[in-house]
Amino acid sequence: MALSDWFRIPEKFSTLMIIPVQIVMNFTAMIPFALTWYVGMTNWQPQITPFFWEAQFVGIQNFLKIPGDDLFVASLARTLLIVAVCVPVEFLLGFGQAYVLSRNFRGRQAIRVIAIVPMMMVPIVTGYVFYLMFIPTGPVSSFINLITGRTEPILFFADPNLALMTIMLADIWQWTPFIFLIFISSILALPQDPINAAYVLGASRGYTFRRVMLPMLKTPIMIALILRSIECFKVMELPWIMTQGGPGYSTFTIQMHLYESAFKYLKYGFTNAQSLTIFITMIIIGWYASKPLRGG
Amino acid sequence: MKKISTSKFLSNSILILVIIGTLLFALFPIYWTLTMSLKPAVEWAPAVTHWWPWNPSLENYLPLFFERQTLIDWGVLQGWQEAIPDTAIKSITNSLILGIGGTALSMFIGTTAAYAMSRYKAGGNFMPYLFLTFRMLPPIAIMIPIVIWISTLGLIHPALGMDSHLVMILLYGLFPMPFVIWLMRSFFEEIPKEIDEAALIDGCTPLTTFLRVILPLVKAGLAVTALFVFILNWSDFMVALIITRRLAITIPVQIGLYSTDYGFLYGIMAALGIVALIPTIAFGLLIQRYLVRGFTFGAVKG
Repeated sequence: MALSDWFRIPEKFSTLMIIPVQIVMNFTAMIPFALTWYVGMTNWQPQITPFFWEAQFVGIQNFLKIPGDDLFVASLARTLLIVAVCVPVEFLLGFGQAYVLSRNFRGRQAIRVIAIVPMMMVPIVTGYVFYLMFIPTGPVSSFINLITGRTEPILFFADPNLALMTIMLADIWQWTPFIFLIFISSILALPQDPINAAYVLGASRGYTFRRVMLPMLKTPIMIALILRSIECFKVMELPWIMTQGGPGYSTFTIQMHLYESAFKYLKYGFTNAQSLTIFITMIIIGWYASKPLRGG
Repeated sequence: MKKISTSKFLSNSILILVIIGTLLFALFPIYWTLTMSLKPAVEWAPAVTHWWPWNPSLENYLPLFFERQTLIDWGVLQGWQEAIPDTAIKSITNSLILGIGGTALSMFIGTTAAYAMSRYKAGGNFMPYLFLTFRMLPPIAIMIPIVIWISTLGLIHPALGMDSHLVMILLYGLFPMPFVIWLMRSFFEEIPKEIDEAALIDGCTPLTTFLRVILPLVKAGLAVTALFVFILNWSDFMVALIITRRLAITIPVQIGLYSTDYGFLYGIMAALGIVALIPTIAFGLLIQRYLVRGFTFGAVKG
Protein backbone atom coordinates (compact mmCIF):
# COMPACT_ATOMS: atom_id res chain seq x y z
CA MET A 1 0.00 0.00 0.00
CA ALA A 2 1.58 3.20 -1.14
CA LEU A 3 1.88 6.15 1.17
CA SER A 4 0.35 8.44 -1.40
CA ASP A 5 -2.88 6.42 -1.23
CA TRP A 6 -3.65 8.35 1.94
CA PHE A 7 -3.98 11.50 -0.13
CA ARG A 8 -5.81 9.93 -3.06
CA ILE A 9 -8.58 7.70 -1.76
CA PRO A 10 -11.34 9.79 -0.19
CA GLU A 11 -12.08 7.42 2.72
CA LYS A 12 -8.42 7.28 3.72
CA PHE A 13 -7.98 11.02 3.23
CA SER A 14 -10.90 11.61 5.56
CA THR A 15 -9.24 9.45 8.23
CA LEU A 16 -5.92 11.22 7.71
CA MET A 17 -7.52 14.62 8.19
CA ILE A 18 -9.07 13.62 11.50
CA ILE A 19 -5.88 12.08 12.95
CA PRO A 20 -4.18 15.29 14.24
CA VAL A 21 -7.20 16.32 16.26
CA GLN A 22 -7.48 12.83 17.71
CA ILE A 23 -3.84 12.82 18.81
CA VAL A 24 -4.08 16.19 20.54
CA MET A 25 -7.45 15.48 22.14
CA ASN A 26 -6.43 12.10 23.49
CA PHE A 27 -3.08 13.14 24.89
CA THR A 28 -3.99 16.46 26.41
CA ALA A 29 -7.70 16.21 27.17
CA MET A 30 -8.90 12.64 27.57
CA ILE A 31 -6.44 11.56 30.27
CA PRO A 32 -7.09 14.66 32.42
CA PHE A 33 -10.81 14.18 31.81
CA ALA A 34 -10.68 10.62 33.14
CA LEU A 35 -8.78 11.99 36.17
CA THR A 36 -11.54 14.57 36.70
CA TRP A 37 -14.09 11.78 37.08
CA TYR A 38 -11.92 9.82 39.46
CA VAL A 39 -11.05 12.84 41.63
CA GLY A 40 -14.73 13.85 41.64
CA MET A 41 -15.49 10.59 43.41
CA THR A 42 -12.85 10.96 46.12
CA ASN A 43 -12.68 13.28 49.10
CA TRP A 44 -9.23 14.51 48.03
CA GLN A 45 -7.94 17.51 49.97
CA PRO A 46 -4.26 18.09 49.16
CA GLN A 47 -3.40 19.38 52.64
CA ILE A 48 -4.52 16.01 54.11
CA THR A 49 -3.37 13.57 51.43
CA PRO A 50 -0.78 15.08 49.06
CA PHE A 51 -1.43 12.62 46.22
CA PHE A 52 -4.85 12.02 44.76
CA TRP A 53 -4.54 8.22 44.80
CA GLU A 54 -4.17 8.28 48.56
CA ALA A 55 -7.56 9.96 48.98
CA GLN A 56 -10.55 7.95 50.11
CA PHE A 57 -12.92 6.82 47.37
CA VAL A 58 -16.42 7.96 48.31
CA GLY A 59 -18.37 7.17 45.13
CA ILE A 60 -21.34 9.45 44.42
CA GLN A 61 -21.46 10.93 47.92
CA ASN A 62 -19.95 14.20 46.63
CA PHE A 63 -22.74 14.51 44.09
CA LEU A 64 -25.43 13.96 46.73
CA LYS A 65 -24.01 16.80 48.85
CA ILE A 66 -24.29 19.40 46.05
CA PRO A 67 -27.93 20.54 46.56
CA GLY A 68 -27.05 21.34 50.18
CA ASP A 69 -24.39 23.85 49.11
CA ASP A 70 -26.41 27.08 49.26
CA LEU A 71 -23.67 29.25 47.79
CA PHE A 72 -23.40 26.88 44.82
CA VAL A 73 -27.13 27.08 44.09
CA ALA A 74 -27.25 30.88 44.53
CA SER A 75 -24.20 31.61 42.37
CA LEU A 76 -25.45 29.20 39.70
CA ALA A 77 -28.79 31.04 39.54
CA ARG A 78 -26.98 34.40 39.39
CA THR A 79 -24.74 33.23 36.55
CA LEU A 80 -27.79 32.01 34.63
CA LEU A 81 -29.33 35.47 35.09
CA ILE A 82 -26.17 37.09 33.68
CA VAL A 83 -26.30 34.76 30.65
CA ALA A 84 -30.01 35.39 30.15
CA VAL A 85 -29.47 39.16 30.05
CA CYS A 86 -26.09 39.47 28.33
CA VAL A 87 -26.43 37.01 25.44
CA PRO A 88 -29.69 38.38 23.97
CA VAL A 89 -28.48 41.98 24.32
CA GLU A 90 -25.13 41.16 22.72
CA PHE A 91 -26.91 39.26 19.96
CA LEU A 92 -29.31 42.09 19.10
CA LEU A 93 -26.60 44.77 19.23
CA GLY A 94 -24.04 42.74 17.27
CA PHE A 95 -26.48 41.52 14.65
CA GLY A 96 -27.99 44.97 14.10
CA GLN A 97 -24.55 46.52 13.86
CA ALA A 98 -23.40 43.88 11.37
CA TYR A 99 -26.55 44.26 9.24
CA VAL A 100 -26.24 48.04 8.99
CA LEU A 101 -22.45 48.19 8.66
CA SER A 102 -22.39 45.52 5.92
CA ARG A 103 -23.60 48.21 3.49
CA ASN A 104 -21.14 49.94 1.21
CA PHE A 105 -20.17 53.36 2.52
CA ARG A 106 -17.04 55.44 2.72
CA GLY A 107 -14.76 54.47 5.60
CA ARG A 108 -16.51 51.11 6.17
CA GLN A 109 -13.22 49.30 6.74
CA ALA A 110 -12.16 51.64 9.54
CA ILE A 111 -15.55 51.44 11.26
CA ARG A 112 -15.56 47.63 11.08
CA VAL A 113 -12.15 47.44 12.76
CA ILE A 114 -13.20 49.93 15.45
CA ALA A 115 -16.32 47.84 16.10
CA ILE A 116 -14.21 44.79 17.00
CA VAL A 117 -11.61 46.64 19.09
CA PRO A 118 -13.36 45.96 22.46
CA MET A 119 -12.89 42.22 21.96
CA MET A 120 -9.14 42.78 21.52
CA MET A 121 -8.74 44.36 24.93
CA VAL A 122 -7.28 41.98 27.49
CA PRO A 123 -10.24 41.11 29.82
CA ILE A 124 -8.32 41.96 33.00
CA VAL A 125 -7.64 45.45 31.69
CA THR A 126 -11.33 45.72 30.78
CA GLY A 127 -12.14 44.81 34.37
CA TYR A 128 -9.86 47.47 35.85
CA VAL A 129 -10.94 50.15 33.36
CA PHE A 130 -14.65 49.50 33.93
CA TYR A 131 -13.99 49.59 37.65
CA LEU A 132 -12.29 52.98 37.27
CA MET A 133 -15.13 54.22 35.06
CA PHE A 134 -17.80 53.34 37.62
CA ILE A 135 -16.10 54.56 40.81
CA PRO A 136 -17.94 57.51 42.46
CA THR A 137 -15.59 60.07 40.89
CA GLY A 138 -15.41 58.22 37.59
CA PRO A 139 -16.76 59.50 34.27
CA VAL A 140 -20.06 57.55 34.30
CA SER A 141 -21.21 58.89 37.64
CA SER A 142 -20.09 62.43 36.74
CA PHE A 143 -21.84 62.27 33.38
CA ILE A 144 -25.14 61.11 34.89
CA ASN A 145 -24.91 63.85 37.51
CA LEU A 146 -24.16 66.41 34.81
CA ILE A 147 -27.34 65.47 32.92
CA THR A 148 -29.75 64.94 35.79
CA GLY A 149 -28.43 67.67 38.05
CA ARG A 150 -27.84 65.31 40.99
CA THR A 151 -25.03 66.36 43.25
CA GLU A 152 -24.35 63.11 45.13
CA PRO A 153 -22.07 60.65 43.35
CA ILE A 154 -23.62 57.30 42.44
CA LEU A 155 -22.11 54.38 44.39
CA PHE A 156 -22.33 51.68 41.73
CA PHE A 157 -20.39 49.09 43.69
CA ALA A 158 -22.35 49.54 46.93
CA ASP A 159 -25.73 48.58 45.48
CA PRO A 160 -26.18 44.86 44.64
CA ASN A 161 -28.30 45.50 41.54
CA LEU A 162 -26.13 48.30 40.16
CA ALA A 163 -22.98 46.25 40.78
CA LEU A 164 -24.43 43.34 38.83
CA MET A 165 -25.43 45.75 36.09
CA THR A 166 -21.91 47.16 35.71
CA ILE A 167 -20.57 43.63 35.30
CA MET A 168 -23.18 42.88 32.65
CA LEU A 169 -22.28 46.13 30.88
CA ALA A 170 -18.60 45.23 30.85
CA ASP A 171 -19.40 41.78 29.45
CA ILE A 172 -21.68 43.27 26.80
CA TRP A 173 -19.03 45.81 25.83
CA GLN A 174 -16.34 43.16 25.56
CA TRP A 175 -18.24 40.47 23.65
CA THR A 176 -20.74 42.21 21.34
CA PRO A 177 -17.88 42.36 18.80
CA PHE A 178 -17.74 38.55 18.76
CA ILE A 179 -21.33 38.42 17.48
CA PHE A 180 -20.57 41.32 15.13
CA LEU A 181 -17.52 39.53 13.70
CA ILE A 182 -19.44 36.30 13.03
CA PHE A 183 -22.31 38.13 11.33
CA ILE A 184 -20.31 40.66 9.34
CA SER A 185 -18.38 37.78 7.75
CA SER A 186 -21.54 35.67 7.25
CA ILE A 187 -23.63 38.51 5.81
CA LEU A 188 -20.83 39.55 3.47
CA ALA A 189 -20.38 35.93 2.35
CA LEU A 190 -24.07 35.45 1.48
CA PRO A 191 -24.69 34.72 -2.21
CA GLN A 192 -25.97 37.94 -3.76
CA ASP A 193 -28.20 36.41 -6.48
CA PRO A 194 -31.27 35.62 -4.32
CA ILE A 195 -31.07 38.98 -2.56
CA ASN A 196 -30.80 40.95 -5.80
CA ALA A 197 -33.59 38.85 -7.31
CA ALA A 198 -35.84 39.74 -4.39
CA TYR A 199 -35.11 43.45 -4.83
CA VAL A 200 -35.74 43.23 -8.60
CA LEU A 201 -39.07 41.53 -7.95
CA GLY A 202 -40.02 44.52 -5.81
CA ALA A 203 -39.58 43.14 -2.30
CA SER A 204 -38.97 45.73 0.41
CA ARG A 205 -35.81 45.80 2.50
CA GLY A 206 -37.61 44.38 5.54
CA TYR A 207 -39.29 41.60 3.58
CA THR A 208 -36.02 40.58 1.88
CA PHE A 209 -34.32 40.54 5.26
CA ARG A 210 -36.99 38.35 6.86
CA ARG A 211 -37.71 35.94 4.05
CA VAL A 212 -34.42 35.72 2.13
CA MET A 213 -31.49 36.62 4.40
CA LEU A 214 -32.64 35.24 7.76
CA PRO A 215 -33.18 31.65 6.52
CA MET A 216 -29.70 31.66 4.99
CA LEU A 217 -28.22 32.92 8.27
CA LYS A 218 -29.79 30.18 10.41
CA THR A 219 -26.53 28.30 11.00
CA PRO A 220 -24.42 31.31 12.02
CA ILE A 221 -27.23 32.50 14.31
CA MET A 222 -27.36 29.15 16.11
CA ILE A 223 -23.57 28.92 16.35
CA ALA A 224 -23.22 32.46 17.67
CA LEU A 225 -25.91 31.95 20.32
CA ILE A 226 -24.59 28.59 21.49
CA LEU A 227 -20.90 29.56 21.61
CA ARG A 228 -21.64 32.86 23.32
CA SER A 229 -23.90 31.25 25.94
CA ILE A 230 -21.24 28.67 26.78
CA GLU A 231 -18.55 31.34 27.13
CA CYS A 232 -20.75 33.80 29.01
CA PHE A 233 -21.50 31.10 31.57
CA LYS A 234 -17.79 31.06 32.40
CA VAL A 235 -17.64 34.78 33.30
CA MET A 236 -15.16 35.16 36.12
CA GLU A 237 -12.38 37.72 35.54
CA LEU A 238 -14.71 40.72 35.30
CA PRO A 239 -16.58 40.26 38.63
CA TRP A 240 -13.38 39.12 40.29
CA ILE A 241 -11.59 42.36 39.46
CA MET A 242 -14.50 44.81 39.59
CA THR A 243 -16.34 43.70 42.71
CA GLN A 244 -14.61 40.59 44.15
CA GLY A 245 -18.12 39.10 44.16
CA GLY A 246 -19.48 41.86 46.38
CA PRO A 247 -21.26 43.67 47.87
CA GLY A 248 -21.91 40.58 49.98
CA TYR A 249 -22.20 37.77 47.48
CA SER A 250 -24.39 39.72 45.05
CA THR A 251 -22.04 39.39 42.04
CA PHE A 252 -20.49 36.05 42.92
CA THR A 253 -20.55 33.78 39.84
CA ILE A 254 -20.40 30.01 39.64
CA GLN A 255 -16.84 29.95 38.27
CA MET A 256 -15.64 32.10 41.16
CA HIS A 257 -17.31 29.67 43.54
CA LEU A 258 -15.55 26.72 41.90
CA TYR A 259 -12.22 28.55 41.94
CA GLU A 260 -12.50 29.44 45.63
CA SER A 261 -13.71 26.01 46.58
CA ALA A 262 -10.73 24.46 44.75
CA PHE A 263 -7.83 26.83 45.41
CA LYS A 264 -8.90 28.61 48.60
CA TYR A 265 -10.63 25.82 50.55
CA LEU A 266 -8.71 23.05 48.71
CA LYS A 267 -11.77 20.82 48.33
CA TYR A 268 -10.54 19.29 45.06
CA GLY A 269 -12.80 16.24 45.14
CA PHE A 270 -16.01 18.14 45.88
CA THR A 271 -15.15 20.87 43.32
CA ASN A 272 -14.68 18.30 40.60
CA ALA A 273 -18.02 16.72 41.46
CA GLN A 274 -19.69 20.15 41.20
CA SER A 275 -17.97 20.90 37.90
CA LEU A 276 -19.05 17.56 36.46
CA THR A 277 -22.65 18.18 37.50
CA ILE A 278 -22.61 21.50 35.65
CA PHE A 279 -20.91 19.84 32.70
CA ILE A 280 -23.51 17.07 32.38
CA THR A 281 -26.40 19.53 32.72
CA MET A 282 -24.92 21.71 29.98
CA ILE A 283 -24.35 18.72 27.69
CA ILE A 284 -27.99 17.73 27.98
CA ILE A 285 -29.27 21.29 27.42
CA GLY A 286 -26.82 21.84 24.57
CA TRP A 287 -27.78 18.57 22.88
CA TYR A 288 -31.36 19.78 22.49
CA ALA A 289 -30.40 23.39 21.73
CA SER A 290 -28.09 22.35 18.89
CA LYS A 291 -30.58 19.93 17.34
CA PRO A 292 -31.26 22.12 14.27
CA LEU A 293 -27.51 22.23 13.59
CA ARG A 294 -26.77 18.54 13.84
CA GLY A 295 -29.52 17.50 11.45
CA GLY A 296 -27.62 18.71 8.37
CA MET B 1 -39.99 59.19 -6.63
CA LYS B 2 -40.47 61.11 -3.42
CA LYS B 3 -41.12 57.91 -1.47
CA ILE B 4 -37.81 56.38 -2.56
CA SER B 5 -35.80 59.40 -1.50
CA THR B 6 -37.57 59.43 1.90
CA SER B 7 -36.70 55.80 2.56
CA LYS B 8 -33.15 56.43 1.37
CA PHE B 9 -32.89 59.36 3.77
CA LEU B 10 -34.22 57.14 6.56
CA SER B 11 -31.76 54.30 5.89
CA ASN B 12 -28.88 56.75 5.61
CA SER B 13 -29.74 58.34 8.94
CA ILE B 14 -29.94 54.86 10.52
CA LEU B 15 -26.48 54.15 9.12
CA ILE B 16 -25.09 57.39 10.53
CA LEU B 17 -26.73 56.75 13.92
CA VAL B 18 -25.24 53.24 14.07
CA ILE B 19 -21.80 54.55 13.13
CA ILE B 20 -21.92 57.23 15.85
CA GLY B 21 -23.25 54.73 18.38
CA THR B 22 -20.52 52.23 17.50
CA LEU B 23 -17.83 54.86 17.83
CA LEU B 24 -19.05 56.10 21.22
CA PHE B 25 -19.83 52.67 22.66
CA ALA B 26 -16.65 50.96 21.46
CA LEU B 27 -14.20 53.79 21.89
CA PHE B 28 -15.03 55.44 25.21
CA PRO B 29 -13.51 52.70 27.44
CA ILE B 30 -10.53 52.60 25.06
CA TYR B 31 -10.21 56.37 25.43
CA TRP B 32 -10.36 55.97 29.20
CA THR B 33 -7.61 53.33 29.11
CA LEU B 34 -5.45 55.52 26.91
CA THR B 35 -5.85 58.60 29.10
CA MET B 36 -5.33 56.48 32.23
CA SER B 37 -2.01 55.31 30.81
CA LEU B 38 -0.97 58.96 30.32
CA LYS B 39 -1.99 60.09 33.82
CA PRO B 40 0.53 60.27 36.66
CA ALA B 41 -0.32 58.34 39.83
CA VAL B 42 -2.22 61.17 41.59
CA GLU B 43 -4.75 61.30 38.72
CA TRP B 44 -5.67 57.58 38.64
CA ALA B 45 -8.59 57.85 41.08
CA PRO B 46 -8.82 61.59 41.86
CA ALA B 47 -11.43 63.44 43.92
CA VAL B 48 -12.98 65.06 40.84
CA THR B 49 -13.31 63.49 37.40
CA HIS B 50 -10.32 64.18 35.18
CA TRP B 51 -11.87 63.85 31.72
CA TRP B 52 -8.41 64.19 30.18
CA PRO B 53 -4.94 63.94 31.75
CA TRP B 54 -4.14 67.27 33.41
CA ASN B 55 -0.41 66.57 33.42
CA PRO B 56 0.09 64.05 30.59
CA SER B 57 3.34 62.09 30.69
CA LEU B 58 4.74 58.82 29.40
CA GLU B 59 6.09 57.75 32.80
CA ASN B 60 3.70 54.79 33.03
CA TYR B 61 5.25 53.26 29.92
CA LEU B 62 8.81 53.39 31.28
CA PRO B 63 8.52 50.47 33.79
CA LEU B 64 7.27 48.25 30.97
CA PHE B 65 10.55 48.45 29.08
CA PHE B 66 13.26 49.46 31.54
CA GLU B 67 14.62 47.66 34.59
CA ARG B 68 13.77 49.04 38.01
CA GLN B 69 17.42 49.85 38.74
CA THR B 70 17.78 51.85 35.49
CA LEU B 71 14.73 53.91 36.40
CA ILE B 72 16.04 54.58 39.90
CA ASP B 73 19.37 55.68 38.40
CA TRP B 74 17.52 58.07 36.11
CA GLY B 75 15.60 59.40 39.08
CA VAL B 76 12.14 58.74 37.60
CA LEU B 77 11.03 56.36 40.36
CA GLN B 78 10.57 57.24 43.98
CA GLY B 79 9.20 55.67 47.14
CA TRP B 80 6.55 53.00 46.73
CA GLN B 81 7.10 52.76 43.00
CA GLU B 82 10.25 50.79 43.75
CA ALA B 83 7.91 47.87 44.42
CA ILE B 84 7.05 47.46 40.72
CA PRO B 85 7.81 44.02 39.22
CA ASP B 86 10.23 43.22 36.39
CA THR B 87 9.88 44.63 32.88
CA ALA B 88 7.08 43.45 30.64
CA ILE B 89 9.38 42.65 27.69
CA LYS B 90 9.52 38.94 28.53
CA SER B 91 5.76 38.67 28.88
CA ILE B 92 5.20 40.47 25.56
CA THR B 93 7.55 38.14 23.65
CA ASN B 94 6.02 35.13 25.43
CA SER B 95 2.51 36.24 24.56
CA LEU B 96 3.51 36.64 20.91
CA ILE B 97 5.21 33.21 20.75
CA LEU B 98 2.45 31.37 22.60
CA GLY B 99 -0.36 33.25 20.86
CA ILE B 100 0.98 32.67 17.35
CA GLY B 101 2.11 29.09 18.06
CA GLY B 102 -1.16 28.12 19.70
CA THR B 103 -3.22 29.76 16.96
CA ALA B 104 -1.25 28.00 14.21
CA LEU B 105 -1.60 24.60 15.92
CA SER B 106 -5.29 25.14 16.61
CA MET B 107 -5.99 26.30 13.05
CA PHE B 108 -4.12 23.34 11.53
CA ILE B 109 -5.77 20.55 13.48
CA GLY B 110 -9.13 22.30 13.67
CA THR B 111 -9.41 23.09 9.96
CA THR B 112 -8.41 19.61 8.80
CA ALA B 113 -10.89 18.03 11.21
CA ALA B 114 -13.64 20.48 10.24
CA TYR B 115 -13.12 19.67 6.56
CA ALA B 116 -13.28 15.93 7.19
CA MET B 117 -16.45 16.40 9.24
CA SER B 118 -18.10 18.69 6.71
CA ARG B 119 -17.26 16.81 3.51
CA TYR B 120 -16.79 13.18 4.51
CA LYS B 121 -19.11 13.22 7.55
CA ALA B 122 -16.22 11.81 9.58
CA GLY B 123 -17.47 10.94 13.05
CA GLY B 124 -21.09 11.37 12.01
CA ASN B 125 -23.30 14.00 13.63
CA PHE B 126 -22.05 13.29 17.09
CA MET B 127 -18.35 14.15 16.86
CA PRO B 128 -18.67 17.92 16.29
CA TYR B 129 -20.89 18.07 19.35
CA LEU B 130 -18.38 16.02 21.34
CA PHE B 131 -15.76 18.70 20.66
CA LEU B 132 -18.17 21.45 21.65
CA THR B 133 -18.78 19.80 25.01
CA PHE B 134 -15.10 20.35 25.75
CA ARG B 135 -15.83 24.08 26.05
CA MET B 136 -18.71 23.37 28.45
CA LEU B 137 -16.49 21.83 31.08
CA PRO B 138 -15.75 24.49 33.72
CA PRO B 139 -12.08 25.45 33.29
CA ILE B 140 -11.31 24.64 36.93
CA ALA B 141 -12.49 21.06 36.45
CA ILE B 142 -10.05 20.43 33.64
CA MET B 143 -7.20 22.51 35.10
CA ILE B 144 -6.75 20.41 38.28
CA PRO B 145 -6.15 17.14 36.38
CA ILE B 146 -4.13 18.94 33.70
CA VAL B 147 -1.81 20.22 36.43
CA ILE B 148 -1.46 16.67 37.79
CA TRP B 149 -0.81 15.30 34.30
CA ILE B 150 1.68 18.02 33.36
CA SER B 151 3.63 17.80 36.62
CA THR B 152 3.93 14.04 36.06
CA LEU B 153 5.20 14.56 32.52
CA GLY B 154 7.55 17.23 33.83
CA LEU B 155 9.43 14.56 35.76
CA ILE B 156 10.36 13.00 32.41
CA HIS B 157 11.59 16.25 30.87
CA PRO B 158 11.23 19.85 32.09
CA ALA B 159 10.03 20.95 28.62
CA LEU B 160 6.88 18.87 29.20
CA GLY B 161 6.32 20.22 32.70
CA MET B 162 4.91 23.34 34.31
CA ASP B 163 6.04 26.78 33.16
CA SER B 164 7.19 25.52 29.74
CA HIS B 165 6.51 27.18 26.40
CA LEU B 166 5.84 23.85 24.68
CA VAL B 167 3.09 22.88 27.10
CA MET B 168 1.52 26.33 26.85
CA ILE B 169 1.47 26.14 23.04
CA LEU B 170 -0.19 22.71 23.26
CA LEU B 171 -2.82 24.01 25.67
CA TYR B 172 -3.39 27.16 23.60
CA GLY B 173 -3.82 24.89 20.59
CA LEU B 174 -6.24 22.70 22.48
CA PHE B 175 -8.58 25.10 24.29
CA PRO B 176 -9.82 27.17 21.30
CA MET B 177 -10.00 24.14 18.99
CA PRO B 178 -13.77 23.55 19.38
CA PHE B 179 -14.25 27.11 18.13
CA VAL B 180 -12.11 26.43 15.08
CA ILE B 181 -13.97 23.22 14.30
CA TRP B 182 -17.40 24.82 14.63
CA LEU B 183 -16.67 28.06 12.84
CA MET B 184 -14.71 26.44 10.00
CA ARG B 185 -17.35 23.75 9.58
CA SER B 186 -20.00 26.43 9.07
CA PHE B 187 -17.77 28.16 6.50
CA PHE B 188 -17.15 24.87 4.66
CA GLU B 189 -20.89 24.14 4.66
CA GLU B 190 -21.51 27.41 2.83
CA ILE B 191 -19.47 26.20 -0.16
CA PRO B 192 -21.57 24.15 -2.59
CA LYS B 193 -20.62 20.48 -2.81
CA GLU B 194 -20.64 20.77 -6.62
CA ILE B 195 -17.30 22.58 -6.46
CA ASP B 196 -15.65 19.57 -4.78
CA GLU B 197 -17.20 17.21 -7.29
CA ALA B 198 -16.08 19.33 -10.23
CA ALA B 199 -12.51 19.45 -8.90
CA LEU B 200 -12.41 15.67 -8.39
CA ILE B 201 -13.72 15.06 -11.92
CA ASP B 202 -11.13 17.45 -13.34
CA GLY B 203 -8.38 15.29 -11.88
CA CYS B 204 -7.65 16.73 -8.44
CA THR B 205 -6.93 14.29 -5.64
CA PRO B 206 -8.80 14.87 -2.36
CA LEU B 207 -5.67 16.57 -1.00
CA THR B 208 -5.27 19.02 -3.88
CA THR B 209 -9.03 19.69 -3.86
CA PHE B 210 -8.68 20.72 -0.24
CA LEU B 211 -5.50 22.76 -0.63
CA ARG B 212 -5.99 24.39 -4.04
CA VAL B 213 -9.75 24.69 -4.40
CA ILE B 214 -11.53 24.79 -1.07
CA LEU B 215 -9.02 26.57 1.18
CA PRO B 216 -8.74 29.63 -1.10
CA LEU B 217 -12.55 29.85 -1.10
CA VAL B 218 -12.76 30.02 2.72
CA LYS B 219 -9.96 32.58 3.05
CA ALA B 220 -12.31 35.03 4.77
CA GLY B 221 -13.46 32.35 7.19
CA LEU B 222 -9.89 31.32 7.94
CA ALA B 223 -8.92 34.92 8.59
CA VAL B 224 -11.86 35.59 10.92
CA THR B 225 -11.35 32.32 12.82
CA ALA B 226 -7.60 32.88 13.18
CA LEU B 227 -8.17 36.39 14.49
CA PHE B 228 -10.69 35.09 16.97
CA VAL B 229 -8.47 32.25 18.21
CA PHE B 230 -5.53 34.62 18.51
CA ILE B 231 -7.61 37.00 20.63
CA LEU B 232 -8.75 34.14 22.87
CA ASN B 233 -5.16 33.02 23.44
CA TRP B 234 -3.87 36.56 23.77
CA SER B 235 -6.34 37.44 26.51
CA ASP B 236 -6.38 34.14 28.40
CA PHE B 237 -5.72 34.62 32.10
CA MET B 238 -6.77 31.43 33.87
CA VAL B 239 -4.57 28.89 32.07
CA ALA B 240 -1.51 31.12 32.13
CA LEU B 241 -2.03 31.97 35.81
CA ILE B 242 -2.12 28.31 36.80
CA ILE B 243 0.55 26.86 34.47
CA THR B 244 3.19 29.58 34.24
CA ARG B 245 5.53 30.66 37.00
CA ARG B 246 8.37 32.82 35.77
CA LEU B 247 9.72 31.74 32.36
CA ALA B 248 6.53 31.55 30.32
CA ILE B 249 4.40 34.31 31.87
CA THR B 250 2.09 36.15 29.48
CA ILE B 251 0.75 39.70 29.33
CA PRO B 252 -2.45 39.08 31.40
CA VAL B 253 -0.38 37.50 34.18
CA GLN B 254 2.06 40.40 34.03
CA ILE B 255 -0.86 42.84 34.35
CA GLY B 256 -1.94 40.93 37.46
CA LEU B 257 1.54 41.54 38.91
CA TYR B 258 0.85 45.28 38.96
CA SER B 259 -1.59 44.84 41.82
CA THR B 260 1.23 45.15 44.33
CA ASP B 261 1.35 45.32 48.11
CA TYR B 262 1.57 49.10 47.71
CA GLY B 263 -1.70 49.30 45.78
CA PHE B 264 -3.03 48.89 42.27
CA LEU B 265 -0.78 50.54 39.69
CA TYR B 266 -3.69 51.37 37.36
CA GLY B 267 -1.66 53.61 35.06
CA ILE B 268 0.94 50.95 34.36
CA MET B 269 -1.76 48.31 33.85
CA ALA B 270 -3.49 50.61 31.36
CA ALA B 271 -0.17 51.28 29.60
CA LEU B 272 0.44 47.55 29.15
CA GLY B 273 -3.18 47.13 28.06
CA ILE B 274 -2.63 49.73 25.33
CA VAL B 275 0.64 48.07 24.25
CA ALA B 276 -1.20 44.71 24.16
CA LEU B 277 -3.81 46.20 21.81
CA ILE B 278 -1.24 46.93 19.09
CA PRO B 279 -0.66 43.36 17.74
CA THR B 280 -4.36 42.46 17.74
CA ILE B 281 -5.37 45.68 15.99
CA ALA B 282 -2.60 45.10 13.42
CA PHE B 283 -3.99 41.58 12.90
CA GLY B 284 -7.52 42.98 12.58
CA LEU B 285 -6.41 45.50 9.93
CA LEU B 286 -4.57 42.73 8.10
CA ILE B 287 -7.68 40.57 7.70
CA GLN B 288 -9.84 43.51 6.53
CA ARG B 289 -9.07 42.84 2.87
CA TYR B 290 -10.50 39.31 3.12
CA LEU B 291 -13.87 40.62 4.28
CA VAL B 292 -15.28 41.23 0.81
CA ARG B 293 -18.78 40.71 -0.40
CA GLY B 294 -19.90 37.47 -2.05
CA PHE B 295 -16.55 35.83 -2.56
CA THR B 296 -18.11 32.57 -3.85
CA PHE B 297 -20.26 34.57 -6.24
CA GLY B 298 -20.60 32.88 -9.62
CA ALA B 299 -18.79 29.67 -8.73
CA VAL B 300 -21.85 27.55 -9.43
CA LYS B 301 -24.44 28.38 -12.06
CA GLY B 302 -27.78 26.73 -12.69
